[in-house]
Amino acid sequence: MLDQLLQASILASIAAATIRIATPLLLAAIGELVAERSGVYNMGVEGMMLMGAFIGYLAAYESGSLWFGVFAAALTGGLMALVFAIMTITLKVEQIVTGLALNLLGAGLSNYWLRAAFAGEGKTPVIPHFSDVPIPGLSELPLVGPILFDQRVLTYLAFLLVPVVWFFLFRTRYGLIVRCAGENPKALDVKGVGVAPVQYAAVIFGGIMAGIGGAFLSVGSAARFVPDMTNGRGWLVIIIVIAGLWRPWPVLVATLAFSLLDALQLQIQGIGLDVPYQLLLMMPYVVAIVALAIRPSRGGAPATLGVPYLRE
Amino acid sequence: MSAITLAAWRLERRREQRPGARFVGLAVALAGALILCSLLFVAAGASPLHAFSALLKGSFGSLRATGETLVKATPLIFTGLAACVAFRARIWNIGAEGQVFAGAMCAFWIQHNLAGFPAAVQLPVIVIASIVGGALYAGIAAVLKTRFSVDEVISTVMLNYIIVYVLSLLLLNGPWSEAGGFFEQTARIDKSAWLPVLLSGTRLHAGFLLALAAAVLVQILLSRTPLGYEIKAAGSNLRALEVQGTNVRRVILVVLLVSGALAGLAGITEVYGVHHRLKAGAIMGYGYTGIIVAILGQLHPAGIVVAAILFGALVNGGTLMQIETGVPSALIYAIEAILLLFFLGGWSACNFRLRRVRHA
Repeated sequence: MLDQLLQASILASIAAATIRIATPLLLAAIGELVAERSGVYNMGVEGMMLMGAFIGYLAAYESGSLWFGVFAAALTGGLMALVFAIMTITLKVEQIVTGLALNLLGAGLSNYWLRAAFAGEGKTPVIPHFSDVPIPGLSELPLVGPILFDQRVLTYLAFLLVPVVWFFLFRTRYGLIVRCAGENPKALDVKGVGVAPVQYAAVIFGGIMAGIGGAFLSVGSAARFVPDMTNGRGWLVIIIVIAGLWRPWPVLVATLAFSLLDALQLQIQGIGLDVPYQLLLMMPYVVAIVALAIRPSRGGAPATLGVPYLRE
Repeated sequence: MSAITLAAWRLERRREQRPGARFVGLAVALAGALILCSLLFVAAGASPLHAFSALLKGSFGSLRATGETLVKATPLIFTGLAACVAFRARIWNIGAEGQVFAGAMCAFWIQHNLAGFPAAVQLPVIVIASIVGGALYAGIAAVLKTRFSVDEVISTVMLNYIIVYVLSLLLLNGPWSEAGGFFEQTARIDKSAWLPVLLSGTRLHAGFLLALAAAVLVQILLSRTPLGYEIKAAGSNLRALEVQGTNVRRVILVVLLVSGALAGLAGITEVYGVHHRLKAGAIMGYGYTGIIVAILGQLHPAGIVVAAILFGALVNGGTLMQIETGVPSALIYAIEAILLLFFLGGWSACNFRLRRVRHA
């Protein structure tokens, strides 16, 4: 009896952790999905998330307001995405190289700024972080209540975005325009709709979401900033969009799969099972490669993803 | 033809590049990067002039400082060349970072079983082992690309993360950890396996000459060999190469193996030339910086050597800059990325011109 209870409570805590871990990935993945649907391969997600995490932390620390931190992080992500857009959409610089440059900028700048801002202090100060906001009524439901409806506001927002973005992309005129920019930009151009403004908007939306996703890591859960704290999550986001076949619902499934893996890994470390922690930590990356190698479908990518549009 | 229209002005692509435009673009990019860096110095509370002069003094102010700059440049020449070979073929090997680890680990794995052998045996062995290690690790990405159509950008980045944990597994209470040691590192390597020092009074080691030789070899490879032709052809039009009857899979595999081998060599210059033990901190970051070096060097071996020395100077001078001005030397890595962004933008911008649109 007691044994069963323990089992159930462990499962519930893994499930709740999965939802929490999924939040930053989902926020950034939904943003990247929209950017890629418009034909732009934003490989700078890692850098945008990292700067979002740092600026979010710094702004929250200086202002005392967590929401101001999130706002600043969104602004930072959007600004980096604007740089990305100018470089790749207007100046036609290679998208992969520009993305890498932004990743390196994010790593270098956050690391430097952290040292400059908190010079002399051994550790970066801990700030309060967002707490769980139970939804009245729903959170009282047995089993699923505490898992799904006792989370942070940003988590609700991330999950709500999935149907919203799905509706936008597949049921509205503007969504059609975004998808058309990625599938057949020439048709858009012929219709008199500028391709560049659409792609700018999609990329900047992606950057804002990556910034907020990064902020969830620092002000949302860790309550501090640690150098390189995104640790490859931005790259996982790109993989999630590929594995999710560039569609919102499968992207949600892929996000949950990676998050479950991470939650299990934490749980195993928690119970102190005799597995080297390095093996557990490298799991998501190994699984990502295997998932891409054995994925049954190669389809789904926008036809002109990564190809800059040149009007002849 | 145009990209955007601004009132009566129009930004349009030039049909051909005007001679000198590239030079102007470079100069503007450099000026822009310098101004932004100066602002960062001011933000950190230091005078830009003081900071730049400390950077210069720290990097070339004495024989010792110059030697140290070349030491810091050495692994960057290798990783820059690694990126050069791959990027010329438009194969985006972002994995030099992991391939440096693989090279260092493979070399250490074989060499630490050779204790007692003379240097004449150990040195060639570590060079060959690092080449093999780096190439094999890049080979994983090649097989994933050619057999399982996994994009090399993604696979190489994942492999970069994975190998850091593999090294940690071997070093932390693992088979390679220093007996009784507290840190995640191997014991000090026996002197017989150190790369010989070239110039007394400095730490400049034979790895630097190896790097220069590699640059010459890559130049010959690119300009004088059939593979070099295939690399450049793959870079400009992969389809055409395929139609012509070339086995594109083979080209992808060979390019990644060569690229990985070059990156692997960067692993031993740090482990056997500088730190004399294997630890993550000794070999971290060179792969990613190498990509910047390759692009600033315009994917030409000679340019890469120059860019690597510039970056070696920045990193080396950064230490004195921190001591003299209090600006954290971590700023150097931000400056490197800023340089890259400005140069990319600057070069590309010279393909455009602003023209006044006449209304009919």
